[in-house]
Amino acid sequence: MLELDAVHSYYGDSHILQGVSFTVQEGEVVCLLGRNGAGKTTTILTVMGYITPRSGTVRYQGQAIAGLAPYQVARRGVGFVPQERGIFPSLTVRENLTVFSRQPGSALQAAGQAVKGASAPRAPWTLERVYKVFPRLHERERNLGFQLSGGEQQMLSIARALMLNPDLLVLDEPSEGLAPMIVNEIVTVLRGLKNEGLAILLVEQNLHTALALADRHHVMNKGEILFSGTSQDLERNEDVKRRYLAV
Amino acid sequence: MDIYLAQLMNGLVYGMLLFLTAAGLSLIFGLMNVVSLAHGSFFMLGAYLAFAVVRETGNYWLALLISPCLTVLVGLVVERFFMRRLYRRGHLDQVLLTFGFTFVFFDAVRSIWGSDIRKLAPPVSLEGSIALVGGMFSTYRLFLLAFGALLALILWAVMEKSRLGAMVRAGVDDSQMAAGLGANIPALFSGVFGAGVALAAIGGVVAAPVLGLYPGMDGDILIPSFIVIVIGGMGSLRGAFVGTLLVGIADAFGKAYVPALSLFLIYLLMAVFLLVRPQGLFGIKGGVAPAGMVVAARAALSATLRVKVIAALVLLALACYPLLVPDYQRTLVSEIFVFAIFAMSLDLLLGYTGLPSFGHAGFFGLGAYTVIVLGALFGLNGWTGVLIAVPLTALAAALIGFFCVRTSGITFLMLTLAFSQLLYSIAFKWRDVTGGSDGIGIPDRPNIFGWSLSEPIVMYYVTFGFCLLCYVGLRRLIASPLGHAFIGIRENESRMRAIGYSTGLYKLLSFTIGGALAGLAGGLYALFNGFVSPEVLHWSASGDILIMVMLGGAGTLLGPVLGSAIFLLMKNLVSSYNDHWMMIIGIIFIACVMFFPGGVWGILSSRIAGRKPDSPPRPGTTPAEGIASGDKAPTGAAPGASMTVDGAAR
Ligand SMILES: Nc1ncnc2c1ncn2[C@@H]1O[C@H](COP(=O)(O)OP(=O)(O)OP(=O)(O)O)[C@@H](O)[C@H]1O
Ligand SMILES: [Mg+2]
Repeated sequence: MLELDAVHSYYGDSHILQGVSFTVQEGEVVCLLGRNGAGKTTTILTVMGYITPRSGTVRYQGQAIAGLAPYQVARRGVGFVPQERGIFPSLTVRENLTVFSRQPGSALQAAGQAVKGASAPRAPWTLERVYKVFPRLHERERNLGFQLSGGEQQMLSIARALMLNPDLLVLDEPSEGLAPMIVNEIVTVLRGLKNEGLAILLVEQNLHTALALADRHHVMNKGEILFSGTSQDLERNEDVKRRYLAV
Repeated sequence: MDIYLAQLMNGLVYGMLLFLTAAGLSLIFGLMNVVSLAHGSFFMLGAYLAFAVVRETGNYWLALLISPCLTVLVGLVVERFFMRRLYRRGHLDQVLLTFGFTFVFFDAVRSIWGSDIRKLAPPVSLEGSIALVGGMFSTYRLFLLAFGALLALILWAVMEKSRLGAMVRAGVDDSQMAAGLGANIPALFSGVFGAGVALAAIGGVVAAPVLGLYPGMDGDILIPSFIVIVIGGMGSLRGAFVGTLLVGIADAFGKAYVPALSLFLIYLLMAVFLLVRPQGLFGIKGGVAPAGMVVAARAALSATLRVKVIAALVLLALACYPLLVPDYQRTLVSEIFVFAIFAMSLDLLLGYTGLPSFGHAGFFGLGAYTVIVLGALFGLNGWTGVLIAVPLTALAAALIGFFCVRTSGITFLMLTLAFSQLLYSIAFKWRDVTGGSDGIGIPDRPNIFGWSLSEPIVMYYVTFGFCLLCYVGLRRLIASPLGHAFIGIRENESRMRAIGYSTGLYKLLSFTIGGALAGLAGGLYALFNGFVSPEVLHWSASGDILIMVMLGGAGTLLGPVLGSAIFLLMKNLVSSYNDHWMMIIGIIFIACVMFFPGGVWGILSSRIAGRKPDSPPRPGTTPAEGIASGDKAPTGAAPGASMTVDGAAR
């Protein structure tokens, strides 16, 4: 459903992404790995429309989306969880969840046409369901965004993306800087989403988390994908692990 | 009637009027990071359109309906077709753009309705007064209070309780993140800009019967509104509300009990807030959102032979020029030299240190007044006056700079503006010394080596000499390690701080040097003109000089010189056969901001050096703002972080 082909992205004059290609299929969890500065976030921002690639194509559900504004990409059914979490500090937890929430199916209308074979019907995300998955958020419903701890912010950021009822969830290092307990909790939630058939594009630095979740992995370095393979392939490839991942 | 009650009432009414403008200004700033200097113009436009409607139909209520609608249309045109094109270019350019529009609107209002004060009668149903708790109150003022409170309540309910309001607040917090969740940011911007304009226009309509209508009412509401949002915190509705009441009441009681100091009271309030709580009462955004200058760094022109020959020819021509022309033109070019010094001094701040000062005329005026007042009251020689004026302005700049350099970007701009208005109000109010609005003059000019400065040709060479001296001095300064530190701060202040520069001190130094040079320009202006009035200190004078710098090309030294020449020549040329020179200057300035961000010198210098002119960044090649920034900005800092992205990319 997501397809990048030979994507080149720049920050001003610095050439960051140097021909990135990969796909995310329906119901699949794909992980981008790589050291700091490898270009993972840049890839995500290119997918989301924050950066327009100078060449190459980005397709989502068969349509070219490179050049669209972030809101247009989001409205096509992509749920975005940025690396900084992006919680709105002066909104309450509840407002953070509801402010941009959408009904399931509205994504297709936003795209202007129904896409064949898109999203098998999944249970819709509502405030109640989100609160059931993240009881902590329910407790803190009335707190303002800036009062949350790092782990709570991460949960809120994921929950907020779910409230868009997306067909593809894009997460940038959800485990970064969190205590192992909370990472486990988040991994459990993400695994639940995967079992439901939600497609996920995940950026991870933590090999353990990546292996626990993803079907396929792409290892990036200096803006290029140097290794692609399944969890098994990656686990066996000591060379890649040593050279491009901090293992 | 109880005098306190009456003052309280006055304060509340004024506060309400302020609230209507400040609320919109604050929301627009919060969401778009743009201080709309045209906001006062929409207030004025609202008032005048209401005046027109009432004259046609005699119906005040109809005017209250129609005028804001029309004004919103105008505002949306400004937002949609002008500001939106500059989204990617940085916030300061948008601020400058709105400044260009103040000229256009001012001229439009003046040519349609004239310069005289107009009066708009309150609706018949609200004439007279009502007896209330121990006093008689004008019915219209009571209506104003109720109406303002109702609007505030509605606004509050929309912002706090509706989903739309939550979207706006989310956009204020972090517009890039909101976009990533599906918020149509351009539409949100237009909506909030339009709503802000509507509030300002409504404010103008209801204020007209109380304050009267005159061209210039735009600035009179804009400046206090700035102060309000500095006090209340940018982007916060609650802050705007509390801020307006504080300022309104302080103003009313100040006027009643310490009339001479009434204006100071407000500025004092602001200064205290900035020291104690720079982010304002309810601001969540720090007062230091880096707006950064989008002045392209232009490498000093390599001194090739060609350039040297051209420079020598120009100097020769300027040296011979006064020998060939009549006095009128000698005088005109002398004035250009004076303003060239002034413009270069501003460019040291704006173009080289990245400090967008909007109050630079304060120092110019201080210099001019020092010379004239000392000459007129104590008979001091003009040169002695200049010798005193320069250190005095340096001192004033250091003092004012002490407050201002703690902030940057838009906040800095507003603060400098407010301080210069403070100087303006002193010049205006302190009649015994400054002659108030009539101004003050000196009977004769001093001599130099036996020649009198009242001879235009002598004046020409003196100002020419000073201008050259300043140019050479500034050039050396820019090339020195100190100059490099200034430029480093402009490019990336946090990096400079990280490598051990105490950037605050450097900014203060730049501000002080710039102020002193402006004082010198002001002193020379005093000798040149022999007369000074508060206009030289007015914020529009600061705007003029900013226009000269931007027109010529900020971040260069010859740019401002060229800019002042073009500005003054045009002013003289156009105003000699056409009343609409403000409109024309405004339009040229808008065009300049939109299409030639490097200014005239930017275009010329690339021709001379044989380079292609820098093209504005193409969409799609500019880095994404906000969350794309490499540094892990904490939540909420993202909108401001956009400029660091630009800086890093460069
Ligand atoms: N705003 C920016 N302007 C210029 N260069 C940038 C910007 N943001 C990132 N870069 C550069 O782009 C490269 C890729 O950065 P990116 O953020 O994509 O890395 P990443 O793989 O996400 O790293 P991390 O694991 O630290 O998040 C880095 O070399 C970085 O220095
Ligand atoms: Mg990253």
